[in-house]
Formats: sequence, structure tokens, C-alpha cells
Amino acid sequence: MARPHIEPFVDREVPFKKMTLPGFPKGMHYKMLSLDTDTGACSMTVMFEPGYELPPGMSYSEMELFVMTGSIEMDGKQHGPGTYVCLPAGVHLPAMKMPRGITGLLFYNYGEPSFVESDADHPHGEREKLIKVNAYDDMQWTSTNFFPATAPGCLVKILKFDERTQAFTFVYCMTPNFWQDNISYHDCAEEAYHIWGTSWMMQFGDLPTGGYFYRPPYINHGAFRSKLGILAIGRTDSQLYNHFHFNPWSTLEENRERAGARLLAWKPDLYKWIATGEHNHPTDFEFPHAHYNEKGERIYHHHEGGDLDHNHGQRRPPAAKKRARRK
Amino acid sequence: MPGLIKHQRSREAESWLKKEIAEQRTRYRKIEHEMNVVIAPKRDRWFAEFLENIQTRGYHVHFNMMRKIDPEEIPKKPKRKTRVVY
Repeated sequence: MARPHIEPFVDREVPFKKMTLPGFPKGMHYKMLSLDTDTGACSMTVMFEPGYELPPGMSYSEMELFVMTGSIEMDGKQHGPGTYVCLPAGVHLPAMKMPRGITGLLFYNYGEPSFVESDADHPHGEREKLIKVNAYDDMQWTSTNFFPATAPGCLVKILKFDERTQAFTFVYCMTPNFWQDNISYHDCAEEAYHIWGTSWMMQFGDLPTGGYFYRPPYINHGAFRSKLGILAIGRTDSQLYNHFHFNPWSTLEENRERAGARLLAWKPDLYKWIATGEHNHPTDFEFPHAHYNEKGERIYHHHEGGDLDHNHGQRRPPAAKKRARRK
Repeated sequence: MPGLIKHQRSREAESWLKKEIAEQRTRYRKIEHEMNVVIAPKRDRWFAEFLENIQTRGYHVHFNMMRKIDPEEIPKKPKRKTRVVY
């Protein structure tokens, strides 16, 4: 099991706990929102005490930080509410100071939280993937651009988009008196945290400020309402498609079955090829390295029986070849 | 794996994880009971209102495109218990 279905959870109802993991300086507090029981990846509300200082350092896992209140001094600049940083694994950040403290959200994406003092990047750190932006001041609201789309009045700002998986992190809002009369589910897992405001979902009731959910794929949610509007941050782990319907009693299994049937209807040729081809594991010529880790070693990927001993034509990613030649 | 640098997880981290997993299990059980059992009668009323609304005001097909659902299209409540948290 990765992360269980946590919905709804209101962090205002639980106290902050001291962060005791090695590496993190004293003065960091957290509330656990959800946790991957296999990898330790997790989402947390965090509070750093006034005067908190963090030396230059990095994390072993990709990390995302969103500042809700207070500001961070970094690189001689103030980074206030709305600041979003996506820090790739092994990429170091300069020293940070939080003279008045901050509250925010921290997401560790592939492993447990870690902090290692360092004033240089790890050899496997991918600095080009570092994102630093202020979601409130530097970006404007756009419509969701999904088809089928959410009802008018739900707007987004995309903070991070993964080209390969189409997973994304976004700030979103619902305007006052937003309503959407349908039920939705997705093929991806989805999580969200209410920075401000209350919305209502037909299955779970009201989700107020400080409300959170982590929802695995194919679980019904909606219809939706919000009387005064909301401001929230959301994330998915792969492409988000709105499978709308109006059967409030459909189960997770029925929803997944329907998604499969819809894939057959929408992309019959692709579906047939995947389902009946001699080779049921498609590869992406843009991402051949998906079969390899950073060292160019083959890693587990989907095949019947977990067979790793096969050839897709390109044995190694170009980067791994270069590394091998250097040795 | 992209996004993760291979490292040895410390004993402290293992024990922290174990504790957090146990707390999450308790949190999940509480949520699951509250959602699947406690608010079930209230939710039945919400479902009924929704099925009424989509016949009168309409069902959101895409953005502001709405379609009124005919009475014969309305699904019937199955005998099994309704589950919303999995």
C-alpha cells in the first residue's frame, strides 16, 4: 500500500509536533497530512519558529515547499506568502532565515524527509529542474484547460508540470457561489489543502480552511459547492482526466472498469496493441532512461512476471553511456 | 528513480516512520468510520437532492455545458452499503 485514502482531514484539529529527524535544526514543527507507508514520502503542514535558520543544504528526495504565512530570507531576498519552491533531490539551497517564522506546506515526493548540510549539489542533483516562483505575485489565474472541464469559477495557476507523467502541482481557487453538479473521478491520485475557505463535496461534506485530502485513483467526489470561495493547493501523481458521471453509488472497481472501457472507445488501436501485442510494455523514445536509474542500471518496470531481461533496442540512456565511457 | 538520491535510511528515520505509520492507521480508521458510517444518512439526502437537481437544472457535462437528465436515466440505489472512503 502506498498512501491510504485520507479524506477529509482538518489539520486545525491536531497540534503541531516537533520534527525530530536527524539533520533538521530545532524549531521545526509539523502536522502529518499523509504518508506513503512504503517509501516515507509525505505531505505535511509545517511551522518554523521565529528566528529559525537553516544552513545551506539538500534533501535526498525531491521536495516542494509552499509558504502560507511569514517570509524566508534567502539569497538576500524576502520570499513571502505564495512562495513555491520545488527542490530536486540532491540540489542544494543557500542558507535560509525566518526571522518571524513561517507556516507552510512541505511535500517529500519519493522518500522520507531528509536534510543534509551541503554548499554544493550532489552529483546526481538535477539543478535545471529547480523551480522558484511566487504563486500570488508572479502568476495569473487561468481556466483549467482540461476537457471536459470543471464548471466556470474554478481557476488554476500551474506551479509544476512533469512532462513525462503529466503530474502537476497547482494553486486553485473557487469563486464565491461556485457550484458543479456532476460526480468526478480520475485515473491519478490527487491531494489538496485548503489555504483559505470552505467547500462542500457530496460524499464528504464541508472541507474548511486547513482541510486536506489525499485521494487514490477512481474514487467518486462531487457534486461541489462553495458559498464564499476557496484558495487551495493541489497535486496529482500523473495525468488528471475528469471522468464525469451522475451515479453516486458507483464503486471504485466500477469506475476503473469504466475508465478502461472508455480508453478502448477513445484509443481503440492503442488499446488493442497494448492488450494483445506480443510485447505489452510500451517504451517512450523521449524517455528511454525510464528503464534505468541514475547509474545506468536497469530497474524494475512493468512486464508480466517482472522480467527485466529484455531489449528495447536502446540499451542505455545517452547520459549513462557517456558516464560508462569516462570510466 | 528520478527524484530520489540513493541513501541509507537512519535508525532514527526508521523509528520515526514506524510511529507515523501507526498514527496514520489510527487516523484512517477514524475517517473511514466517520465517512462510511456516521454521515451516511445525511449523505443519502445529499444524493437525493443531487439526483433531483440534475433533472431540473441539469448535469455539468463540460464547463458551462449542462444537460437535463431524464427520469429513466437516473440510477437506482443498489442494495450494498455505500462506501466513499476506500
